[in-house]
Amino acid sequence: MWSYVARKLLYNIPVYLGIVLLLMVALRVNDPVSSMMGKNKSQEDMLAMKESLGLARPLLEQYFDVLRFDLNVMSWKNQGLTVKQMFMDSIKPSLSITLPALTLTSIISISIALISAFFRGRRIDRILMVLAVIGMSVSFLVYIIFGQYYGAYLLTKETSWDLFAIGGYESGIENWSYYCLLPVLISTLVAVGYDTRFYRAVMVEESGRDYIITAKAKGATKTKVMFVHMLKNAMIPIITRIMTTLPFLIMGSLLLEVYFNIPGMGRVLYKAIQEQDFPVVQSFVTIFAAIFILSNILTDVLYALVDPRVRLS
Amino acid sequence: MSSTPQATSAPSWWSKFLQGRGVRKFKRDKMAIGSLVVILVYLLCALAVGLNVLEKEDAFARVGPGWTPGFGGTQNGEKRLQDAEFRIEQIERAAAATQAEDALKALNFGALVPFSNDPEVVSARVAEAWAIFNATVEYDDLEEDPAAAKLLLDLESKVEELYTQPTGLSSLVHSLRMSLGTDLQGRSIMFRALYSTKVAVQIGIISALFSVLLGTLLGAAAGYFGGWVDHLVIWLYSTFSSIPWIVLLMVLASAFRGGPFDGTLIPVYAAFCMSFWISPCRVIRGEVMKLKELEYVQAASAMGFGKIQILLKHIIPNTAHLMFINFSLLFVGAIKAEVILSFLGLGVKGQPSWGVMISQAKAEVLNGFFWQIGAATFFMVILVLAFNILSDALQDAFDPKHV
Repeated sequence: MWSYVARKLLYNIPVYLGIVLLLMVALRVNDPVSSMMGKNKSQEDMLAMKESLGLARPLLEQYFDVLRFDLNVMSWKNQGLTVKQMFMDSIKPSLSITLPALTLTSIISISIALISAFFRGRRIDRILMVLAVIGMSVSFLVYIIFGQYYGAYLLTKETSWDLFAIGGYESGIENWSYYCLLPVLISTLVAVGYDTRFYRAVMVEESGRDYIITAKAKGATKTKVMFVHMLKNAMIPIITRIMTTLPFLIMGSLLLEVYFNIPGMGRVLYKAIQEQDFPVVQSFVTIFAAIFILSNILTDVLYALVDPRVRLS
Repeated sequence: MSSTPQATSAPSWWSKFLQGRGVRKFKRDKMAIGSLVVILVYLLCALAVGLNVLEKEDAFARVGPGWTPGFGGTQNGEKRLQDAEFRIEQIERAAAATQAEDALKALNFGALVPFSNDPEVVSARVAEAWAIFNATVEYDDLEEDPAAAKLLLDLESKVEELYTQPTGLSSLVHSLRMSLGTDLQGRSIMFRALYSTKVAVQIGIISALFSVLLGTLLGAAAGYFGGWVDHLVIWLYSTFSSIPWIVLLMVLASAFRGGPFDGTLIPVYAAFCMSFWISPCRVIRGEVMKLKELEYVQAASAMGFGKIQILLKHIIPNTAHLMFINFSLLFVGAIKAEVILSFLGLGVKGQPSWGVMISQAKAEVLNGFFWQIGAATFFMVILVLAFNILSDALQDAFDPKHV
């Protein structure tokens, strides 16, 4: 197993190098200095600015600089803040939305998928699936706009019951439901359609296998076959899907954070891309890529530990 | 499987395809045929806009007071009064201009034009309208009081007399124009939504087509040649997929900003193609690896066909169903991503699109005006829904093992 992990890590080094290169080149297509200095800039000022930001050096030198993974570099736009501090400040708001949202989405969509698979082909299954497809077809942005309007604005205005904030964020568990619950609910509503369809497909696939027929032939009830035999085996693709979404949680839900003014990773990154704040973009994306690669390896290893049929090669 | 190379010429290949099991299964699916019809309607609509039936100016022209609701929408008295005031002011300003006749000729709200181009005649009638207006303003409650309601109706008919109502075909066009109301700047929501259909279809087709082509080429090459080509392609898509797609889209879209392509759709296409090619590439690489072991490929190789010829003639055509499915999925992906990019200020610029309309509507929703977001969402949902149903049916018919 350890040799597998070592090999995987070695194999992913070029991928990591590629990510950093892709990111740096894409960022540097537009010169940040000219937009930073405004209209009345002299050639000398621009050069001096470039020098001070370290952009005048050859690309290869900058590349090795980013590869050093130094999180104590200063942000260009947020004076006096290091990237590490910005990361630490923004990770908590992000996770306080994405973690509950993932939990809620998984529970709801697995339950709906079970109901749908149990009544496969009947009216309730078809209604649920049509609803899922319709839910998938509406833009995320529309959910956010209407969610904020009905949940935060209209509810407070009509009933003077200030349940949800229009936007903003304050840390602390007592403030969580006021600021974060509405984004969590919206994000769940958006994701349930996709996840339900996936989980139902997994269960339908699983219900056609030989061991299900055997269990039925031995006289097990439909409920027992469904919840004991099938669900247990369907857990592998379900857990794989959840595991693969885990690294994306730290990025937060960019749209929700931007719309609700929540100072999470997604919004910080969005602002950094808009303002061409290279240190922040580069560090955040490389942190994410590292976590992504590691979690992929971890998923493979867990797979092998749980399922004896899987051999790591 | 033992077909000679001559038998694979285009017409017989096509008729074989039409008689295949997948197509027969697809034809039986009523929902899928329905969704194809819907998609066709959208394509025709986009084509019509593309052929300048609806010009870009129509989507930007001011056709009335801002925030008019569409058909069936009622307005309160206050808003009706404001709209009447707006219409009188517009014509009064034109009549008072230094070149009054030209100004009156230039003034039009869609099809509505001033009833006369003679400034003095117009001014006289404008004064009458102001008189009724001033009487109406006296009332506090414009809806409950019958006298006030009657005055308001008088005012509205007087305002109507200021403009010539269109007749015949142009009146039909005008009612279509006003059917979904106007946005804050008084532009026709219906025409903006129709124009956006063209933009959406354009973005969907171009991004999906090029992503699928790029993905197919790389995936087929990787799967067929193996070795270092395979390693290179895997490295390429692992690299691109290790960055969250929304971040990748934002970085790519802002990379193309400010260059010579600013104001066109090219930054959007480029960002979509560079982040969407991954999934067709993966799928087709796997399929090609499977196909190249089949007997008919080995037979072709034994008959002395070159590698490139086998790849182009015998392998890639057999991945066509996957290309269709991926095209359909990516089309939807592009339309939905356009909305998000436009909201983030990195998407479509200088022309209306559903994304631009939805993100513009976020301020209107708080004022209770739902026509713009409703129209854009409705137009989008129908198309996306049709494509979702189509992708499902394609998957069921041609790739039944897919989860």
